[in-house]
Amino acid sequence: MKWWRFVVASEIRKILAFRTDFWVTFLGQTCIQIFIARSLWQAIFEASGKTVMEGYTIETMTLYYLIVPIGSKMLTGENMGFLSREIYEGTFNRYLLYPISFFNYKTLTYLTYSAFYGLQLCLAFIGYQLIFDQFDLNQVIQLSYGLFFFMLASYAYCNLALFIELISIWADNIWSLMVMARFLCFFFGGAYIPLNFFPDILQKIIQFTPFPYFVSLPINAMMGKLSTKEMILGVVILLVWSLIFNWLAKRLWEKGQYTYSGVGI
Amino acid sequence: MKRYLRLYFFFLQFSFSKALEFRIDFFFRIAMDIMYYFVNIALFKILLLHTPLIAGWNEEQMMIFVGCYLLVDAINMTVFSTNMWWLPFYINRGELDYYLIRPVSPLFFLSLREFSANSFINLMIAAVFFFHSLFSYSQDWNLLSLFGLIILLINGSLIYYCIQMLMILPVFWTQSAKGFIDLFYTLGLAMERPDRIFKGWLRVLFTVVLPFGLIASFPARIFIEGFNLQTIFHLILVTSGLWIVVLSVWRKGLKSYSSASS
Repeated sequence: MKWWRFVVASEIRKILAFRTDFWVTFLGQTCIQIFIARSLWQAIFEASGKTVMEGYTIETMTLYYLIVPIGSKMLTGENMGFLSREIYEGTFNRYLLYPISFFNYKTLTYLTYSAFYGLQLCLAFIGYQLIFDQFDLNQVIQLSYGLFFFMLASYAYCNLALFIELISIWADNIWSLMVMARFLCFFFGGAYIPLNFFPDILQKIIQFTPFPYFVSLPINAMMGKLSTKEMILGVVILLVWSLIFNWLAKRLWEKGQYTYSGVGI
Repeated sequence: MKRYLRLYFFFLQFSFSKALEFRIDFFFRIAMDIMYYFVNIALFKILLLHTPLIAGWNEEQMMIFVGCYLLVDAINMTVFSTNMWWLPFYINRGELDYYLIRPVSPLFFLSLREFSANSFINLMIAAVFFFHSLFSYSQDWNLLSLFGLIILLINGSLIYYCIQMLMILPVFWTQSAKGFIDLFYTLGLAMERPDRIFKGWLRVLFTVVLPFGLIASFPARIFIEGFNLQTIFHLILVTSGLWIVVLSVWRKGLKSYSSASS
């Protein structure tokens, strides 16, 4: 068996180790976020007296908030945030001993989680479309585009997360930096409110950051709101951001290896 | 009581010196919470560009509500949050033993031992925003209603703590890494929304079963719309009920606890 298969199998075992917790959390988080978001938007639609706001009806808004929680999990994974502790305790040594590259190992474990949540996103999306009797070939294509973009965005975010995590070689604890990155990504990415609701000037500024490509782009692809041109441009921009974060993370890694003492702090 | 206060004073001393040990992290955490405040304020400001009211509240009133839940969040981050984070680890690794043999209430010790010094700075920032929203309010209010609001928000913090405990305590039985704490954080969204947006069974869920709506929305509503005996009675009843449930689950959990191999 090739090394990557061992890594993937071991990660899937980890994900499924506490099945009850896993499914309760998945179903609970997804349903709660949809119900809360739908309640808020219903109140907003009622108060504004409109049935369509910035291109969204209450139904499309519900679909948006069905994709957001699972898509966000796909994006941010669950296998980050431990590196600082490993560096602090000195158990980081194992990555130096593994017969595979640190970056490949971390990226693969990260993407395994993303793919698993992608499977959940498929189930939720198909379930939603079946309930509303809208499931057809068109939806299958949209779903495929959405999953492709979320996986690409996950790869880009993984590189960003690695870059932030490696700062812990110097800064002891970077948990709060990871949370800050998540706040920025979700808020300016459109996970809290669709970007169309932001003031025009802010929408234009946000386009120069990676955040809308992490969240809004995959969701719009899944909802069939992107033209072919926008999709191609989205792929290129996500790849460029991935390369930038990957380059930054590798520079940190090169410098950090000589700073790391190997015995904990 | 005096003994517990003295003990808490030592917790504070210990926590401040520990926080300053990791200075970079100390400042990162302050920045993180400031960002959380910014995101929450901006969220409602953007929504209010598209509608004059949310759940019957205008921008001024919404900012009072936002100030309320940011304050409750800051209190919990400062007083309870770090302790809650470590609780599942203590249970799973059998380290709860050290707390059970001490001559003080283990629940007191485990819930209050770590005072988050960096979040204390953020508590002050949240308090500034809270008072700013109150003083910017164009309607009249008096000291009594301010006092009532603060008491209700302290009660809100207790409700928040109780729900959080209820999501962590299943670790006694599931032995999972975090219990249902991720679910708790998602449910926490309900605290950040005005309770009036919830209708039907969702309203029952968030005002009685998992009363997130009582944490900040009810207090803000009493402050904005005036004293209401029925709402106060609801708050007292649900808070007492929740506290009894937490104590009973805690005791049952301790009975299932089998030390190191738990």
